[in-house]
Amino acid sequence: MDTLLPKQFADLSLHSLMQSHIHSIQLNEQVFQQPIPEEHLESFRIELEPILLKPICDGKIVAAVDTSTMKIAETNAGIVLAVRGATVWKQNENYRYTRLGPFIFHVTDDNKNEVYNALERSYFSSINGQNRQNSPSLLQMPTRIATLLERWQQSMLTKTIQNGLILFDGSLTAGTPDTPTHRMKETLSNGRNRGNVVLAFSKMTNLRVHGCLITELKLERRPPYLLETTGLRLKPPMVTLGAVYVAKLSKGNCAFRLDIDNGVPSESRVKAVERLLGNDLVSQSYPETLRLAHILCTFTANEVLAMRHFITRKCGLQIINRPDMHKLLFGPFGKGESYS
Amino acid sequence: MKLYRKEGNILQILSFPNETVEKGDYLLVEDPEANKGLIAQVIDVQFATIPGVLEELLRSLPDGGELIQGEDVDPLEIAPHITYIQDASLLICKIRATVENETLTPSSSWLPSRSQSTIKKLPVPTLLKLAKINGKLPITLGSTKDSSLLTVDASSIDGRLNIITGKKETGKSHLSKLLMSSLVSYRATVVIFDLNGEYVSLGMSSDGKRNINYDKIHVLTPSQNFKVALKQLSLRILLGILVHALHLPGTSTREFRRIWKELREKDKLTLRELGEIIPNWNCNQHVRDALFSRYHALVNCGFFTDNIGEAALLEEVIVKAKEQGGAIVINLKNTSTIDRQIVVEYILGKLLDTLTAGRLKATFLFAEEAHLYLRETYWDDIVTRMRHYGIFTTFITNQPDTIKESIYRQADNIFLFNFTNEHDLDVVSRAARVDAETVRSIARDLPPHHCLTLGKVVHDFPIVARVKALDIKTMGETRLFFAEMN
Repeated sequence: MDTLLPKQFADLSLHSLMQSHIHSIQLNEQVFQQPIPEEHLESFRIELEPILLKPICDGKIVAAVDTSTMKIAETNAGIVLAVRGATVWKQNENYRYTRLGPFIFHVTDDNKNEVYNALERSYFSSINGQNRQNSPSLLQMPTRIATLLERWQQSMLTKTIQNGLILFDGSLTAGTPDTPTHRMKETLSNGRNRGNVVLAFSKMTNLRVHGCLITELKLERRPPYLLETTGLRLKPPMVTLGAVYVAKLSKGNCAFRLDIDNGVPSESRVKAVERLLGNDLVSQSYPETLRLAHILCTFTANEVLAMRHFITRKCGLQIINRPDMHKLLFGPFGKGESYS
Repeated sequence: MKLYRKEGNILQILSFPNETVEKGDYLLVEDPEANKGLIAQVIDVQFATIPGVLEELLRSLPDGGELIQGEDVDPLEIAPHITYIQDASLLICKIRATVENETLTPSSSWLPSRSQSTIKKLPVPTLLKLAKINGKLPITLGSTKDSSLLTVDASSIDGRLNIITGKKETGKSHLSKLLMSSLVSYRATVVIFDLNGEYVSLGMSSDGKRNINYDKIHVLTPSQNFKVALKQLSLRILLGILVHALHLPGTSTREFRRIWKELREKDKLTLRELGEIIPNWNCNQHVRDALFSRYHALVNCGFFTDNIGEAALLEEVIVKAKEQGGAIVINLKNTSTIDRQIVVEYILGKLLDTLTAGRLKATFLFAEEAHLYLRETYWDDIVTRMRHYGIFTTFITNQPDTIKESIYRQADNIFLFNFTNEHDLDVVSRAARVDAETVRSIARDLPPHHCLTLGKVVHDFPIVARVKALDIKTMGETRLFFAEMN
């Protein structure tokens, strides 16, 4: 795999940490959840006759990508964030992984554009015009940098895997500031050209039919099956590049929104899901490869401590605990900022 | 290292992987503001409770229990920091003393500053110096983990009750020999009840040549070079043998007194005369039978003789040992249980007589597996009465539950070798001079030949040392069936 990105990430990471004149950092953990884009649901329909699936076990490679980000501290100038990405693939009954990071960035209002644009330029050889005008806010930076890393990993995977199934975390929605349509199209096209099918699993969705979330529809059918949807229109410039399904791949209560590259013929899309069932473990309707990618990139509390230890040692920062105003004001009734 | 918690006299200290601290080590927690420090001993090393460690371990094993194979691209090199945090340990330490102006007090009532205190390892030589564990009569027990010598003062064994215990083949006899040799070299009188003939070569070096103590070691083997004539015995000692070793009933004892009185008046205190008088003695037939059976026991043990020339005078050996120091090894190997008890009754009785008469100042008694020959009432005697007469006992055993609890309570020094059995550790931890946690935690992990020294000899600072090697001929080795084949 091309390790140019990690090097750039590392260089920028160290540069951002070293350049800043931070006197103290404050501890404040926060996990960022990617916002779900607003969608127009007037024309949205779901086919209630399920597409029943039969697992096809043909030894095809299954690969997945996921990234995690976390704000690990606040400084008097900005935030210190950490990003990590993981690629997991299953071949010959074995799972293997490549984990990139963690990369730690000190992002301030002064350097956020510089950091983000430098990373984007390094990996996609261009800067998204939209970004240049609408630079992300400081709070959005963890998600944006993580998405950048994720998109690069996805792009690399579509260029290296052949005749495989590539699993993304989230949807195939493009046209957002961090996922330009042309880049997502290019990624999907690269995948198709090498015989791959991209499947994107969303853990959360706001798509509803008659007021009911599509993943909560109850059908008296035995899984595995897919429910096909039609007519999803997004607010421009956002666009979905996937055919949207509800995937209930195993017994239990879980079902997921599944976007499959709509450049792939309908039959091949269903075959791809059947191949996924035959070539990967599926538990709670979620593929193991993607679950491992998520697990491997997630930051544990131990790692957060280690990263704080790293920035303290590397940059000579003194860690202080910022008083929790909720606790301070409301005593035992103050549940902390995470509850606010 | 960072001070984490203090509960009672237990300190919890956070230690990082680059700080190598083990069980038994001493730490000095210095509070610069208070200008004093705590001396604490590490009694357990645990993993620190680091949040997220379980998740960390679980995710490395998701592939059906096999380690998932992969590559970590970690250009910032965060991984060493992760393992650094993950491998942090929590040291459970027992506070032993407070040090203030180089003076020690056994106090743990103050709380050092968590943020300002500095924690460092306290080298054993510094501890020994602070605790003033030295003296004019040094006995080097061995070397501590930091390669310094653990030297105690012989006078700290003087007048004390000591226990050497540990499981088999951990080095108990080795330490006893070391203590005996050292005491002998300081001209002390040492009496050893040698159950397996292990101490008979104390005067020989490992190559079979005579060592410096050769002339001071007196090996007495009952029935061989150690016999006693009835004339040399006092009635008190012989009655002790008859009652306690041979279980003669009270009525028969009274009759024996009369027989003894008559024989003494006629100056006929011999075994032959005793054997002739008992069958014709005017008393109840049962009493006569009881007396006659005890007479035969005395004859058959071979320890008693009518030949004065053949009889060895224990007192002479004691006097000799008193003058230049010496060890009297009572070789009880190949001696039956009853005969062993007879000999021990005689020796203890004789020692008491000698000490009471002032012919001997004091003696150090080493008793190996004493439960095999010491009668019930002697246990309490040893810690009370005999101690005042000048018999300072060291018990050596691999079965700690055979020593009475009162002995543990009164013990001044305990030399503890490895034990893994919970029950054994329970018994030893009843000793008054030691806390149960220290015994349980440290003794369990002691390697062979390593001894945890507790009590007055180390001024109540438990110290682990590897017992030093001795150039003494090894005896008492187990006879093995497969030895030649191996």
